[in-house]
Amino acid sequence: MDRMQQDDKLDAQLNAMFAEYRMACPDPEPSADFMPAMWKRIEARRVQTVSVFRHWAQACVLATVALTVLIGAVLIPRLQSDPASNASYVEALVSEHSSDYIQMLAGGVR
Amino acid sequence: MLVEFELIERARSGDDSAFNQIVQAYRKRILGTISRTIGRPEDVEDVGQEVFLRLYYSLDQLRTPEVFEPWLYRLTVNAAYDYLRRQRRRQESRMSDLSEQQVMLADAAAGGKRRDEEQRRTKIRELAESLLGQVSEEDRILLTLKEVEGLSLKELEKVYRVNENALKVRLFRARQRVLKAFGAQENSEAVAKAGLGSADDSE
Repeated sequence: MDRMQQDDKLDAQLNAMFAEYRMACPDPEPSADFMPAMWKRIEARRVQTVSVFRHWAQACVLATVALTVLIGAVLIPRLQSDPASNASYVEALVSEHSSDYIQMLAGGVR
Repeated sequence: MLVEFELIERARSGDDSAFNQIVQAYRKRILGTISRTIGRPEDVEDVGQEVFLRLYYSLDQLRTPEVFEPWLYRLTVNAAYDYLRRQRRRQESRMSDLSEQQVMLADAAAGGKRRDEEQRRTKIRELAESLLGQVSEEDRILLTLKEVEGLSLKELEKVYRVNENALKVRLFRARQRVLKAFGAQENSEAVAKAGLGSADDSE
């Protein structure tokens, strides 16, 4: 028997083996617990996903509260204590440039 | 298709009873495919539940009900692949956990009850699994779907979302490797039958 014939024979035997394997392993009957166990897993995943979102939401709320407290405790008092913020725009401008204005008056208009 | 498109649409829109009906229609077929792909009867249901769990949470990504079956096969392939990869990482063997004496006792007990047909089936299963063990997990699954499950190249194309030629090349290579192992097995059996290569000859 030449090489090609041998290969063909082996190929056919392998096909037969696969077909027998298919018959030797029929589709198994699912157990009575299959559906309840599957739904339990689906539910567990849902709860897990919800709890992940809940943790995220809690973290976001905490971060927002912390930022609000920071702004309220540090930034607002600082802005309020600044005299420039209490004065009107013209007053603030005058206080900022008052020395320039006096120098300008002393030097006269050229 | 084992179910109506309308049922798939209902499941997609969040109807759990429709999803339940789909699982009931497909579970046996999917468990069969998993059983022949992973070769471990004790873990088949676990992997099967994983497939349907993934289906439940990905059903809204399904474009049309027409592609439902390839989609389900794709999920099955992925779950089986994940399982086989995990198994390889663990590198555990159920038999290796037992002592030699326990294995012999288990074999003897099973052998006493087994009929000839059962023994033949077991032999075929062992042979097929050892041959499929010669290729990577991906190729094992692909080869099983093609040669054992009988999926056509067109169907595999939809499952794997690659072109037919790429599949043909992969299948050819995988089959050649299995064929080589099968040939070696056949030769060694022929040699054993002929009484060659035995311990007596070496004297």
